[in-house]
This record gives sequence, C-alpha cells and structure tokens, in this order.
Amino acid sequence: MSAIIKTIRENITTPWGLWLLFLGTLMSAAAVAGISVFWFGLSITNLTDLVPWGLWITLDLSSIAVSAGAFSLCAGVYLFGLKRYAPIARTATFVGLIGYTMAMLALILDIGRPDRFWKSLVFWNTHSLLWEVTMCVMLYLTVLLFETMPILASFDWLRKKYPRIAAKMESVHHYAPVLAIIGLGLSSLHQSSLGAVYGVIKARPIWYKPEMAVLFMFSAIVGGIAMTLLASMLSARLTPKAKVNDMLVERVAQFLGYLMIGYLYFRAWDWLAQTYTYEPGRTEAFELLTKGTLSFNFWFGEMIFGALLPTFILLYKPTRLSPFWRMLGLAMIVGGVVAFRFDTNIVGFLAVISYLPGEALISYTHYTPSLVEWVTVLGVIAYGLLAFSLGVKYLRVVDHRITNEEHETVTVGVGDTVNA
Amino acid sequence: MTENNFSRRDFIKLSGIGLAVAAAVNTITKVEASEGVKGKHQWAMVIDQAKCTGCDQCDQVCHAHNDIHPDLHWNKVVNAGEINGQMVYLPRPCMHCEHAPCVEVCPVGASYYREDGIVMMDYDKCIGCRYCQVACPYDARAFNWEAFTGDNPAVPEWGEPEIERRPRGVPEKCSFCYNRIDRGMAVGLVPGVDAEATPACAVACPTGARAFGDLNDPNSNVSQILRENPSYRLRENLGTNPRVYYLPVTEDRLVAES
Repeated sequence: MSAIIKTIRENITTPWGLWLLFLGTLMSAAAVAGISVFWFGLSITNLTDLVPWGLWITLDLSSIAVSAGAFSLCAGVYLFGLKRYAPIARTATFVGLIGYTMAMLALILDIGRPDRFWKSLVFWNTHSLLWEVTMCVMLYLTVLLFETMPILASFDWLRKKYPRIAAKMESVHHYAPVLAIIGLGLSSLHQSSLGAVYGVIKARPIWYKPEMAVLFMFSAIVGGIAMTLLASMLSARLTPKAKVNDMLVERVAQFLGYLMIGYLYFRAWDWLAQTYTYEPGRTEAFELLTKGTLSFNFWFGEMIFGALLPTFILLYKPTRLSPFWRMLGLAMIVGGVVAFRFDTNIVGFLAVISYLPGEALISYTHYTPSLVEWVTVLGVIAYGLLAFSLGVKYLRVVDHRITNEEHETVTVGVGDTVNA
Repeated sequence: MTENNFSRRDFIKLSGIGLAVAAAVNTITKVEASEGVKGKHQWAMVIDQAKCTGCDQCDQVCHAHNDIHPDLHWNKVVNAGEINGQMVYLPRPCMHCEHAPCVEVCPVGASYYREDGIVMMDYDKCIGCRYCQVACPYDARAFNWEAFTGDNPAVPEWGEPEIERRPRGVPEKCSFCYNRIDRGMAVGLVPGVDAEATPACAVACPTGARAFGDLNDPNSNVSQILRENPSYRLRENLGTNPRVYYLPVTEDRLVAES
C-alpha cells in the first residue's frame, strides 16, 4: 500500500500525473452527477416537454460525428488501396471506438429508463429511424471492436503474459478489408439516418427536409477526419510516445480541405434555399439561427470559423504546412461540426409552432443546460481523452512508423477470372 | 445497331425485370401504407368550441380518472383568442391520428395503434427516449420528469383513479379512456351513449361540448354531427388525420347560442 502511495507521490507532479489528476477530477465529478441523474431522475436537468433533447443529444451526435474518421479512412486505406495511410486509419479506428462508447454513455444518461436500455435491441419498430440508428450503432460498435483488436494486441503486458491471445487478436487485421466494407455500409446508414431522425419530423419545418441526411453524413466525414488528424498531431507534440509522419498528415489535411469545399457547398445551398419564401415555423426558426439567439453560434461557430476559414487554412499551402495553423484549422472544423449539431438540434425546439387553427402562431422557448448536464458532459469528454491518452501511451495508437503486414492483393485485368 | 436487334428474348427479359420492379414497388408501398389493422369500430371525438366555456372540468376529471400528476396534462384547455369579445377555448386531448408521427418514430414500438384507432402507449416497453414528444405536432405528450408520489389533489373530488400510475422516465398521454371503453363494451354498453363506456372528459363536460362515438357507424352521434356541421381538425396540412374534430365558433353560431 505504501509503495502505491509512494509511486503516486513521485508521479503526481509529472505532466502525465497532473493530466491524469485533471481527467480523474472531471470524471469523478461526472460520476457523482451521473449517479444523481439516475437517483433523482431527469427533473434535475433543464430539459422540458418543449425542449426534450438538449446538451446530451449534442454530445451524442457530436461524438458519433467525430468518430466518422474510422469508416472513411479505413475505406480509403483498405478499399481504395491507399495503403500508406494505414497508420492514420489505425488512429481513426481507435478514436471511433472511443467516440461510440462516449455516445453510449451520453445516451444512457439521456433516456428516461436506463434500466430498459436492452429493450431497444429486443423490441423492433423497423419503421423508426431511431431503431435503424440503434441497430447500426450496435453492429458498428461490434465491427469497431474487431477493428481495434490488433491495436489492443500491441499492449506490452498482454503480449508478455498471454502471447497466444495477443497473436490471435493481432491476426484479426487480416480481415481489415472485409471489416472496412461492413463498416462503410453501417456507417453510411446510421450517420445519414442520424440526420434523418430530424429530417422526417413533419411537425418541425426547419428540420423537415431530405438534405438533413446528406448534411449529417458530410459533416461527420469532415469532422471525423479532422478529429483524427488533430488528435494525432496534438499527441505527437505532447509526448514522444506518439510519432507522426507529417507528410502523410499534410496530404490528408489537403484532401480534407477539398472535402470542406463540398461541405461548404451543401451548407451554403441549404442556407440560401431557406431564405426563399416564407414558411410558417421554418422561417422563424431560421431567423433564430441567422439573427436571433443562435446567430453567434451559426455565423462564427458553424460558418466562418467552423467551415470557411479552416477550408482556406487547409488549402493555402503556407498555412497548411505550418503545424500550428494546420492544427488550428482542424480544431475549427471539429468545433464547427459540434456547433452544427448543437444548433440543428436546438433550433427545432426553440421556435414552437402552435396547433391552434387559423394564423400560424409562433412562440419561443429557451434552454440553458443545467450544471448536472455540463458536469456529466465534461466527464464523458474526459473519459474520451483518458482513453485516447492511454492508447497513445500503451497501444501505439499514434505511431506512423508502424507498417502493416501486406494484405494479399491480386491485380485483375478486365474480363479475367480470379481463383482465390 | 438497328431496332430489329431488339429480339423477342430481350423483350421477355425486359418485361421480366419490369414485373419484378413493379412487384417490389408494390410490396414497398404496401408496407408504407400500413397504419395498423382497421377494426370494426373507429372511435372519434367531436368538440364544439361554441359550447366550451373553458371551465377546465374535463381536465380535472381526466387528472382524477387517469391519476395524472398535477403538473402534467393529457387534456389541456387552451385559450384560443376571442370572437366579439367572447373568449374561445380549445380543449386538446391526444388526436389519435390515423398516421400518428409518434407511432412511426418510436424505436421500440411502445406507441402503437389499436384496431379501433386508439393510439396506445405501452408504458412497460418505453425506454424514455422522448422521440415521440419531438415528433408530436400537438404537444399531446407529457414526460414524467419526476416520480408522481403522494396524493392526487384531484381525487376524490373529481373521481377515482381507474388505471395505474405511470413510472418516472416515460412520456404519457390521453388514451381516449380505452379502459372505460373496453370495460363498458364487455358488459354490452355503447361508448358515446352510455356514460360508463365513454371517456371521462366527455361525460363530465357540463355544457355537453364533447361528443364521442364510432365513425364507422353512420348513425352514431359523431357521424351525425360531422355530417350536419362544418368541422375542422388541427394541423390538417400535416396529413396525420386526427380523430378529434372541432366545430368552430363563428359569429352567427355565437348569436344562435345566446
């Protein structure tokens, strides 16, 4: 016991020790807040019948969005044959696993009956978008677990103690291309369906549009890639355990810049289309975004700092080559996607359309997250940071020197038959 | 390539594909159109706004009979403006929509259609995700943010609870007093005619502003009222097909009543 205390005392003042202490404090506070949510119920939040989804849903949507690097980069590496980016896909897969477990934590807090969580897997309403999302997320989490097997196998303790188990886990990477295909399918489905969860709600005209699915899919891809690159670069600056090949990161960042042009196009199109003609409820909600309470979030969080500026930073060579500017640009993209998810969710609730007959009456409600909501959200984020830090320290999650064993590739000419 | 190259075999192939596509589309549209099995009865409510005085008694008996938390409402009486200086009210129960958004979005199927058109809640299945609340165009659902413990202030003055109290963490809503309908019909009573088989709010209304009955029966009171009077439903443009109809207040009807 005294030996443990001695180790703690010696290490607590190191940067690593202080980092763990900081995250531990946040997580402990969140544990207390989380238990009080389970104990006292959702009445201790600021959620209401008019705003039933708030900060937790934002965390849920955002952590799933920034996990999208896992499927997009894995698809690039294993399906489009961009093998040299495999180390970045490795980081993305780990980020993905963390992101999806963060979403699970947020959801378990958010649902009114966490004890009945299992019912969402047993009772199916196949007509519900949320059913589709639940199924895909659970299946994809399983795929991610398989995809991270080889990463978990690089844990030294496991390698020494159970070399055979570690070897088995390592060998899962032979299935990486298959897992990438399944992951691509499942992710495309639920990343867009998350948008469609909002897009099918006829009662709230600001959401009721088919492009919600496209916007969620696109924002997830850019947010996911940005998060992966940012996490890689940041850890490489903070610890010698992480090694990045800056040329690889820079190339992906440039590609991300081009993707951002596509994202900007869709956002601009969606935004301009809504300025045309008056639609009761939609126009009022849209004005909350452009002129009202959410206008700062919208213009600065989503548009200028969230999309326009980082696109320029990543496409203009001098800023892209500078690690500082590149990291800033990547962080802005992640922030922009989070702001987009927050605004999209909340704006549908803030402008309330009356069901009274006659003239369309719009009233406004408001929502400020309670302390309990903030503390739990910070705790879940701290969990994510802790898991990633441990991955960097013990699992070589960010190590661009790793070259994977070659997968068998066969070059097939047009019209050839292949006997595998 | 000339047109003659299009052989009989190609034609058969193409028609085969066409048939397959048509069959697939047909199955898909069938799934899309399903809104539960339509039973013998289709219960509906007609609320006459000219008769409603906004006394709130329907809401009180609703609280007592369904054992509802005082802060929650299944049957809110909303102030709907005024005509010629006279206040107009709009009592708002669950609309029991034919195409109910809440039923469509519920991931576990805790919201479902009964054969008689009543939109039901299975409070034991519900996980409390609140997607139904998000989807409902009528704000008809109230969430149990906290547990309802202690006495119900509406009991016994306005009646006795007839159903179980809902637990914390699930949304609840009007059920057209399905329990009264089922119990009444089991002993041969007719909902809408016999008070014991009719929703409590319709029975309690002192001005008789609420009529309840079977839309499938052309001689029922609701069918007759809807045939003889102009009526409207809330947010009809959404295509939800509510089973709650309103008779509007108009200037001449106000004169006729007074």
